[in-house]
Amino acid sequence: MQANRGKVLTGVLAAAMTFSFVLSGCGNSGSNEGNANNQGSTNEATNNGNAGEKPAEKVTIEFWAQKFEDTTDAWFKKWTDEFNKSQDNVQVKLTIVPGDAWTQKLKAAQAAGKAPDVMTRNYSGIAPGAKNGEIMALNDYMDPAVFDDLYDNVKEFITVDGKYYAYPKLVEPSAVLYYRKDLFEAAGLDPEKPPVTWAEFIEYGKKLTQKGIFGASIAQTAPDLGWSSWGLQYNAAGHLPITDDWSKADVMDDKYKELLNFYATLYKEGIIPKQQLSAYADAAPFGQGKLAMTVSGSWSIGLFRNDYKDMLDKIGVAPMPSIDGDQTKPTATLGGWTLVIDGKSKKPEAAAQYIQYLLAGDPAIMIDFFKTSQFSKFSPRKSVDEAMNQDPAASADEWRKLIAEKVIPYAKAEPAYPWDISIAFATAIESAMKGESVDKALATAEKTINDFIAKSKLAGTNPQ
Amino acid sequence: MKKKNMRLDNLTAYTMLIPIVVLLTIFVIIPFVYALIVSFYDWSFYQESKFVGWQNFVNVLNDPLFMKAVVTGLKFSLFVVPAQMILAFLFAHVIRSMGSKLSGFVKTSIYIPTIISGIIASIIFVFIFDYNAGLANVIVNWFGVENQAWLADVKTALPSIALPAIWLGFGITSLIMLAGLLDIPDSYYEAADLEGAGPWTKMIHITIPLLKNVVLYLLITGFTGAIQQFELSLVMTGGGPLNETTTPNLYIFNHFRNDVLVGHSIASALLLFVVLGSISAIIFKVLNSEKAVDG
Repeated sequence: MQANRGKVLTGVLAAAMTFSFVLSGCGNSGSNEGNANNQGSTNEATNNGNAGEKPAEKVTIEFWAQKFEDTTDAWFKKWTDEFNKSQDNVQVKLTIVPGDAWTQKLKAAQAAGKAPDVMTRNYSGIAPGAKNGEIMALNDYMDPAVFDDLYDNVKEFITVDGKYYAYPKLVEPSAVLYYRKDLFEAAGLDPEKPPVTWAEFIEYGKKLTQKGIFGASIAQTAPDLGWSSWGLQYNAAGHLPITDDWSKADVMDDKYKELLNFYATLYKEGIIPKQQLSAYADAAPFGQGKLAMTVSGSWSIGLFRNDYKDMLDKIGVAPMPSIDGDQTKPTATLGGWTLVIDGKSKKPEAAAQYIQYLLAGDPAIMIDFFKTSQFSKFSPRKSVDEAMNQDPAASADEWRKLIAEKVIPYAKAEPAYPWDISIAFATAIESAMKGESVDKALATAEKTINDFIAKSKLAGTNPQ
Repeated sequence: MKKKNMRLDNLTAYTMLIPIVVLLTIFVIIPFVYALIVSFYDWSFYQESKFVGWQNFVNVLNDPLFMKAVVTGLKFSLFVVPAQMILAFLFAHVIRSMGSKLSGFVKTSIYIPTIISGIIASIIFVFIFDYNAGLANVIVNWFGVENQAWLADVKTALPSIALPAIWLGFGITSLIMLAGLLDIPDSYYEAADLEGAGPWTKMIHITIPLLKNVVLYLLITGFTGAIQQFELSLVMTGGGPLNETTTPNLYIFNHFRNDVLVGHSIASALLLFVVLGSISAIIFKVLNSEKAVDG
């Protein structure tokens, strides 16, 4: 009896212990959140305090911006201050949240019904967010004219069921080829003729590989491939690995086999490192001279211009090579950021007023942003581009011109389907790189995607 | 008289229990019940939540990645816990035989990794496992082996993550083990000496049996801690290559991050709870812990 009770007790103890461990896991995310709060800087009221003026009752709205480059953070702060000073009705409280803490912090706030009124969101999050009621349609709160200023393809990104759910800040193509002109010359290649087909990319990569310098770098882990290969999926097959109505996987395509073989060859031939030197979005190893070519987003231009100034003469920029050399096929998706209003916001008018001021108002505000980002990002607004073309620094920028003319016009929108689909296909690419046969890798992806469609009742839910 | 005292004792005991009972209720029992409830819903923060019965659990159990994550967690603990225990056992012996000044210094030194955050350790080890110029590759190069993709190769990724986990937990495990060792009365060893027992016999028949409860504690905390390892794979590999290092908690975290509805994440967390509870129960059963034998 005694022994028995002991066992029961220890059982209870075991349960309690495991429980406290499960909890301590939760506790961690909580403390992250606290850190985020501390790191996030808040701009408190700066009353311009004209003597004699009646102190107006200002509506305060919360704005959470994800942490980007320091220049972007500074830009948010500067123009939020300007907005607060410019009128007496709305006070915006800006919090900058580090990227790794963003999801936890936002999810926790959403669960508690305390999400910020205004927040940053990327294009692929708009359709699912709108469908789920997380964000509000802006049609009733913003001047319809500001949406006419947007380029048509970008307008599509923010439209769900005929309504606008976000106002875009920028677009940036997900894949651009950067190459070292000096290393091209040393390897006997023409520095003015970057590769245009995948076969050439592989061939040049082999020639450029030498001790200490890899021929190329491209995404090679599933989480990176998940989004960075969308453009090449379009490039190869002209479609994504799922039918347009999201009813079943559309993976079994010979062109996708070529895509997987392209990545697998780069990996197996040692043209790209066996273990990535950095994540796809971070092109620092190229700036440090460890790579002869790299594929990364247009944002890397900002990195090179700010941090690797002595490399700039040696860097060439070109569109990402295409499966067959046809450079009018998409090679990239247009990623980018928008501002949205929370679905439960109680002050949508004030929030919309702020968004309109910041993103849709005076072109000078946005030009200030594109300048500080070293023209590595692109405007979704026609009027901003027109104004920018008058600007000598912008119009003389060759890289900006090349991307604006040769990459963006052919780039596609980011897909709105759940991430599970993207990661399933990306896993196929990665397993082909790691030695799985291409057919088997694609078959697994097909099954995973079809299972996911069935499980989450995805068929027919494409909002666009 | 005796009876009255007992009642007083009980009163004191209950009073002392109140704070922890209140805290447990607020932070454990209520959230647990709430989690149980929402796990049966398609829980959305913005729309009416839909009751879906066992669907979330069925989805999780049918997800090959969840099972793989649990197996990964187990494999990971099998790398970490035994290595840690053996190292700690040996090291605790070394410390015990040291002079008090030196042992103070050593104890402090080995404890340092314990207070380093897992994130910092991950970043340090990412540098060590760097493909181009990491310490690990420099060392294998001395032996004429070419650069290894420690974190990107399916075969080496999990052991490479286990290494920092061992390093992080080694200090505290050694100290607890040392405390257990010091708790064993010297007279037992003296008696054994008189009987002519060698060091090996003493270890098998005195040290290890008397350390049983300490070992039990370390095994349970070690296993539950290791299976729930999360930040090392998040920072070092992101769960890759090919989900080889996706531990159960990282699996849950990824779903929490990416899913529109939260039911799946909660169902998997509850199932993980079941897994952990079973493992702890098995360890208790196997070691058959009773009260301390020496009394």
